[in-house]
Amino acid sequence: MEFNIIKFIVDPIDGFIRNLLSFSPLLGDLVTMGLAAIVICTVAAVSFMALTYAERKIVARIQDRIGPNQAGPFGLLVPLADGIKMFTKEDTTPRSADRGVFNAAPLIIATFALAGFAVLPFSPGIVGTALNVGVLYTIAIGSGSIIAIIMAGWGSNNKYALLGAFRTVAQLVGYEVPMILNLLPVVALTGSMSLMDVVYRQTLANGNPGIPFIVYFPFCALVYLISGIAETGRSPFDLLEAESEIVAGFHTEYSGMKFALFFLGEYVNALAVAILFVTIFLGGFAGPVLPPVVWLLIKCALVFSLFMWLRGTLPRVRVDQMHDLNWKFLVPLSIVNLVVVLLIGKIFVATEATQQATGGIVVGYYGQAAIFAISNLVVLFGGLALAARAGRVRRLADEKIMAARAEQNQLAASRAIAVGK
Amino acid sequence: MTTQQILFIVCSAIVLGGALLVVTTRNLFHAALFLILSFFGVAGFYVLLEAGFFAVAQIMVYIGAISILIIFSVMLTRGMQAMTPRNSQAAIAAVVCGAMFVLMVLLYQRGSFTLPGFGVNGTERQVGAIPWAFAGEENNISGVPETWIAKFGFSLVDIQQYALPFLVSGILLELALIGAIHVARERRPAEIIAERAEIAAEEAAEAELPAPKPMPLPEVAPAHHMESH
Amino acid sequence: MLVTAGLLMGVTLLAASLLRPKKPSATKADTYECGIETVGDTWVQFRVQYYIFALVFVLFSVEAVLLFPIAVAYNALPLYAVLITVLFIIILLEAIVFAWRKGVLEWN
Repeated sequence: MEFNIIKFIVDPIDGFIRNLLSFSPLLGDLVTMGLAAIVICTVAAVSFMALTYAERKIVARIQDRIGPNQAGPFGLLVPLADGIKMFTKEDTTPRSADRGVFNAAPLIIATFALAGFAVLPFSPGIVGTALNVGVLYTIAIGSGSIIAIIMAGWGSNNKYALLGAFRTVAQLVGYEVPMILNLLPVVALTGSMSLMDVVYRQTLANGNPGIPFIVYFPFCALVYLISGIAETGRSPFDLLEAESEIVAGFHTEYSGMKFALFFLGEYVNALAVAILFVTIFLGGFAGPVLPPVVWLLIKCALVFSLFMWLRGTLPRVRVDQMHDLNWKFLVPLSIVNLVVVLLIGKIFVATEATQQATGGIVVGYYGQAAIFAISNLVVLFGGLALAARAGRVRRLADEKIMAARAEQNQLAASRAIAVGK
Repeated sequence: MTTQQILFIVCSAIVLGGALLVVTTRNLFHAALFLILSFFGVAGFYVLLEAGFFAVAQIMVYIGAISILIIFSVMLTRGMQAMTPRNSQAAIAAVVCGAMFVLMVLLYQRGSFTLPGFGVNGTERQVGAIPWAFAGEENNISGVPETWIAKFGFSLVDIQQYALPFLVSGILLELALIGAIHVARERRPAEIIAERAEIAAEEAAEAELPAPKPMPLPEVAPAHHMESH
Repeated sequence: MLVTAGLLMGVTLLAASLLRPKKPSATKADTYECGIETVGDTWVQFRVQYYIFALVFVLFSVEAVLLFPIAVAYNALPLYAVLITVLFIIILLEAIVFAWRKGVLEWN
């Protein structure tokens, strides 16, 4: 890896604090970890502010308008204005709301969203906590915020908030399944659940070929991206915040700072999904010349621009379309893909050592990557073809029914005319 | 007082306190939330035991899936708001649970004990010793990484270890899903009529009466179909 | 990390509570229902669809917890072990197909 700018900054500070607190290593650990946590939270919060501004401007341009440009030059002070607004708006609480639950929900959502940043590797060796179950940890964090949504919906004591909360939970819970299923091939090939190891597998370290996992598993990457977008409730899956739908969903009754925390949670979640996608499938901080953290920023910016692009162009899906897409298309295909990958990985192995251990045909790293990619694409296009065929069958049946009905109408009309004569 | 002891006490307080609140609180939804708190405490225990994988698995499965299921089933029972959970058998239950707890503590302290007559040829047999789960040290497959997660994963599919329980658990999961779907499924009106006719025919056959005439159109509960969300 | 994030958020909320105006009024404290007065109890007709989706998610959650360690050990597994894993996955696929055929995966 090239000049690691973050390590260059962090190591002296780390050493300094530990030296200062050398009388108690525990305290040194705690202070360093606390400082790291504060820094990560600050980075997340600052990027949240920048992202809201960027999103509004970019989506506006896609929609052929300018976006906010009044607050400061080019509207650059909009996040500041938003922040001041959030701080000073009154916090109305419905009379019959459940105080404890109502107040705890936004706190829990924001906390879990920020806690998801703890396992993201920002540079080689720079990670909040080097968990050896990082991949599963991110899924667990997603599950944790689901409970907070139910709390928010229930605590508001509002029919529509509760209904919105249930629908949100149904969506989130549904799209976690393809996420889980499509992380399994990546973990299988890496041999570890740690995100740092997943990134190293995609670099040139330790004799690994420098092939990002998106080349190995394009289908998995695509489905993971779609599930990630659905998990964060962004367009085109934002049917729960649609103005014409259930008011504002589970955060109807929230205002002021608490609403700001929900908002923060949503954007920070989207940022975490983007960074996760970059880490797992695009190679994280790997890159030839620039410092690793700059590569991470570039890739993450590209992915997030993709998110904004999708938001600006795609129409919103209907709720039954969304569930059909998940349970009838993504999940079965993901299962089939997983089975195919598991079998192919054992039949076509990459190195001599593996062949001696467990048998198989040696094709080298690049050969294995090519075979995986081809099998993934076969599964993807096969699934699409099946879906297209099912759709065409249904469309023909519908057309037949419409034609029969039209014929009946015509018959009735001609009969009426004959009688009228 | 080492840090580990302090953390152990904190986690125990969370687990036991949460459990106590679950059984004493009046509001059913709050009880579910305190159960979730208790689960977090259990995850903390797993972390203390340096089994991070199980901590995360606990959060993902128990808090992320099973708690949601519990909350949904709480919401499914009508009149939830009117219900204050009251248990008239609380005293007896407390006594029984206390006795079981004492028994478990004694067993654990003892470690293992001998059962006369249950062993080979009627000799005594040692029970209760904790068996070692991973026979990873004994296999000769090279390349299994030294981490215990890898050994655990390998033991799940190794025929000499736990492959059969693994597959049986898969079948158990499938059966549970099939059963739950069969019970909870929404039936269409034609199916409801057919089911009721079947039940009526069975009852008539048992009572040895002539079969009843076909039922008129039943009043299907409108709640099933009126509000389409 | 969780603790620090929670503390930070708590501090933010506290700061906000000190800064904002407090003007409670009866109308503001009412439940919001598209601007009309609420009619009837706050009770929602809960559809069994939510329960079915959560149930299937429990199934996949447990499956994931069992499959992730197997994936970690994947590079060292012989072929028969992978076949056992595939068998397990197919058992659960069968459960999904059952749910699909019985029509419980529809959202009406």
